[in-house]
Amino acid sequence: MRHARAFLVLIAMLAAAGPAAARHDPQKLPATRIRDLHYGDVLFYYFQGPDQDLEALTRLGAYEHWDRMPHHELDAQLLAGGLYLSLGLHNEAGARFAKLLTPNIPVGVRNRAWYYLAQVWYARGYLDKAEQALERVQGVLPVELEAEREQMSSNILIREGHYDAAVHLLEGLRGPPDWRAYARLNLGIALVREHRVADADPYLTAVGTLRSANPELVALRDRANLALGYAYLQANDPAKALTGLERVRLDGPYSDKALLGVGWAEASLGNYRSALVPWLALRQRSLADSAVQESYLAVPYAYGKLSANGQATESYESALSSYAAENQAIRRAIERIESGRMIDTLLANDEKGEQGWFWQLENLPKAPESRYLYAVFAGHDFQEGLKNYRDLGYMDRGLARWAQSMDAFANMIDTRERAYAERLPRVDALLHSGITDRMQKRRDALAARLDAIERQHDVAALGSPDERAHWAQIRRMESTLAALPPDATTAAMRERLRLVKGVLYFEMDEAFRARVWEQRRTIKDLDLALNEAQERWIRVERARNSVPTNTGDFAKRVEALRERITDLRTRLAANRLAQRQYLARIAVSTLAAERDRLAAYEVQARFELASMYDRAADQADNAPARPSGAAAPPSPAPAAGGAAQPEPHP
Amino acid sequence: MPFQHTQSRSPRGPRRLASAALVVVAALLTQSGTVRAQAPANPATPTPPTAAAATAQAPTSAPAPAAPGGAAENAPSAADTRALDEQTQDLKKQVVDLNRDLFVLEEELLYPANTQVAVFVSMDVGTFFALDSVELKIDQKEVANYLYTPREVEALMKGGVQRLYVGNLKVGSHELVAFFTGKGPNDRDYKRGASIRFDKGIGAKYLELKINDRQRRLQPEFEIKDWE
Amino acid sequence: MRAVNKFVPSVLALTLLVAGVTARGADYPLMSRAAPDFALRAFAGDNVRLSEHRGEVVVLVFWSSRCHTCGAQLEALNRSYATYHSAGLQMYGISVDDDERHASDFVASYRVGFQMLDDPQKEVGRLYQVDRLPMVVMIDRSGIVRAAREDFDSASRVPYLRELKRLLDQ
Repeated sequence: MRHARAFLVLIAMLAAAGPAAARHDPQKLPATRIRDLHYGDVLFYYFQGPDQDLEALTRLGAYEHWDRMPHHELDAQLLAGGLYLSLGLHNEAGARFAKLLTPNIPVGVRNRAWYYLAQVWYARGYLDKAEQALERVQGVLPVELEAEREQMSSNILIREGHYDAAVHLLEGLRGPPDWRAYARLNLGIALVREHRVADADPYLTAVGTLRSANPELVALRDRANLALGYAYLQANDPAKALTGLERVRLDGPYSDKALLGVGWAEASLGNYRSALVPWLALRQRSLADSAVQESYLAVPYAYGKLSANGQATESYESALSSYAAENQAIRRAIERIESGRMIDTLLANDEKGEQGWFWQLENLPKAPESRYLYAVFAGHDFQEGLKNYRDLGYMDRGLARWAQSMDAFANMIDTRERAYAERLPRVDALLHSGITDRMQKRRDALAARLDAIERQHDVAALGSPDERAHWAQIRRMESTLAALPPDATTAAMRERLRLVKGVLYFEMDEAFRARVWEQRRTIKDLDLALNEAQERWIRVERARNSVPTNTGDFAKRVEALRERITDLRTRLAANRLAQRQYLARIAVSTLAAERDRLAAYEVQARFELASMYDRAADQADNAPARPSGAAAPPSPAPAAGGAAQPEPHP
Repeated sequence: MPFQHTQSRSPRGPRRLASAALVVVAALLTQSGTVRAQAPANPATPTPPTAAAATAQAPTSAPAPAAPGGAAENAPSAADTRALDEQTQDLKKQVVDLNRDLFVLEEELLYPANTQVAVFVSMDVGTFFALDSVELKIDQKEVANYLYTPREVEALMKGGVQRLYVGNLKVGSHELVAFFTGKGPNDRDYKRGASIRFDKGIGAKYLELKINDRQRRLQPEFEIKDWE
Repeated sequence: MRAVNKFVPSVLALTLLVAGVTARGADYPLMSRAAPDFALRAFAGDNVRLSEHRGEVVVLVFWSSRCHTCGAQLEALNRSYATYHSAGLQMYGISVDDDERHASDFVASYRVGFQMLDDPQKEVGRLYQVDRLPMVVMIDRSGIVRAAREDFDSASRVPYLRELKRLLDQ
């Protein structure tokens, strides 16, 4: 996964780049710059590695929803496709790629996308989809991918049984030598299965005689030689079988089976003493290996052929007890898996009940029965199942946290609603009271009045209360006097009044400018206050308007999401249970096959032993005839081998 | 208006990545990498042909063991595997969608658009700069103090832009003050600060803390950009 | 801050902090819950964020220079670290010391193979409700708290190792 991830596909903002894109290297998309911050945020998580893929995808979806990445539409969609693929959602990825990968996009990018999709589908056994995806690859991929692609195509052909087509493809293979080795091995094995040993030979021999220090290739070489050897054993050509088998490393992972095969080849040639050599060596090894199991029968068989009946008998007896012991262990293991499963179903939290079956391959086996399961655990189905199990567990825990957040949100919304319910009516009342309008009108009226006073130089209007009182008094006296006939008394009074009025007027006039200015200032202050009030008004109005009329909406959304969480968690739990059961079934069926094989061997050992006792008894009766202790050669439980039926890897 | 987020100068080292702003796609397999690296489940042997060898010489009867029908006893079939895989995919998709909806709800509820303010961090430096921490204060109040791990620094160097902080602010004028610390070449400790006054209007406000060494090589500085 | 604590939504983190006043001993409040995420500086080396180590078994050991048995316990734990690190064990010593200098001295005098982190504000100490030292918290590969031992001592070692192996097997 990291390997593939390392082949980063560069995307451009093709929308902006337009026709320029075509001029670029078709293997890459033109380099881009990040023009939307939120797209950068998604990348921040993506760049941190696969464990952040879900976070990246979540944010991508959210930011898309809010339309915060307008400059990166295509990038975002391509990235989403890739992330879906990385999270194991290959169907979704495939659908998106199918839509997105139009001819606008440089062919190199498209090819890579289809190639990676094909790889996932192939690995999961969707051969038809893998084939379709590979067909969409146009032209040639970069060197290292091209070889893998050819490899995949040939494997698909082999898996589908189209051997001749595979041969044809293989002949034209252009990849580096390493790849050819894999391809040849797969083809060779496939041909062997078709009983076309002669056809298979050149391929297997080519791989079997490879010179390399590369540990991978050395392992392949062993496999090829082993396959060749057994193919010839099956075809009754022990001499040729030996040629291949003797090339298998004694300290490699295939040495057990090779040793067994060498023994049989020698035995076929009648060289039982020679056959004993590898078989005795095998017998020292761990009984978990099927070749070793068989050697426990093969050794006494050879002794029998060599007329060493005492040793044969002993060997059969020891085989019996070993088989029985091993079988016991296996039965216990099966029980444990099965009962573990039952316990798991009962417990709400499966993690508490886990028996630690799921381990990392790097660890040494700790439980004895796990030796058998090593191969199973390394198997693809098991690993995928395990990954899904863990992924879903992680997702479930995430949802659990969200569920708790939902509670907090619901509280928050509720509090908000109540607060609004309390305050909004007052706010609304205030907003609809028109109070600022009224105040403004009054201010305007004041200002207008002052203007008039100033225009008319109405000094009296701005007089102090005393002044106005006096002024009023004077005016009254004036009108009274005006009514009286003019004579000396009234004239004197008029004169006095005129003087007093004059003085008062003079005083008010003096003060007028200042008073006008004063009044204007007051109005200015009023303006300021009004302004502030108006600004606050606007803020209140704005706040009022931005009060989510959707508090109700939020509450509904929270409820709906809460339900989805609960529902999904239930289904996740069910699926995880199914995954566990699936994994358990894989493990149990493997163990069961082992158990059955051992049982079959046990039966055979018993039978042979019984025969030997019979014959010995016969001889005792018909003394001193030579015991012809030719026992039957052990036959393996073929079906048990079937469970370990090899896959034409890789 | 399009903002030139990264350099267009000739790339060198980490800057190449940052400036190319490698926007990566086709994220890849959950599968174990290359096909060739896959560990074989079993050695590629056909069934040991000892049964055949046996027929060649068994003088006495060699009772073939009863073929245990349980070889594939209860083993999941390819159809089983596929059915489970399809179901798992479907569920995962629903989880992805639900996660997105939850994220959306949370943000709309806690940080509604009209009051939202978000601060991002980006890095555009020529040589590797080991960013250690970033501290943010808005209106004198500390709102973020983030420690960076090597993995996160690398993500920034590759062109990622971290949304460091998201919160709410009232309309009006505010002040952002930011500090970053880190180690430059020769293990020199850096501490730099920058500040900006900005106006929060209606609608989300985005600010970007740009760490770069534009001015002087090997001396990272801060620049704060207000994305109006 | 959401950005700071993305592993656990901030709302939940607050809830956990507030829920701190509970019974101690076997009833560790964080048991079987998601281990609260945090980031701390190391006395030497890079900053560490807990959530980046999902997939590994993580053991946190809280210590301070004033705790007399902490040194010996750290050394004992170091042995298990050496043995199981390659199997996916990650260990961090977290100093909740009041005094920076004492803490540094302590780190210098007890050499261990795992990173020692500094929690000067005791934020992480509070998050994990550390009352007595040394305290050992064990987190499984999925990021769930599976075991917590206060007053970790020599008698705790056997159950600790057993639990450790169980977690590593997963």
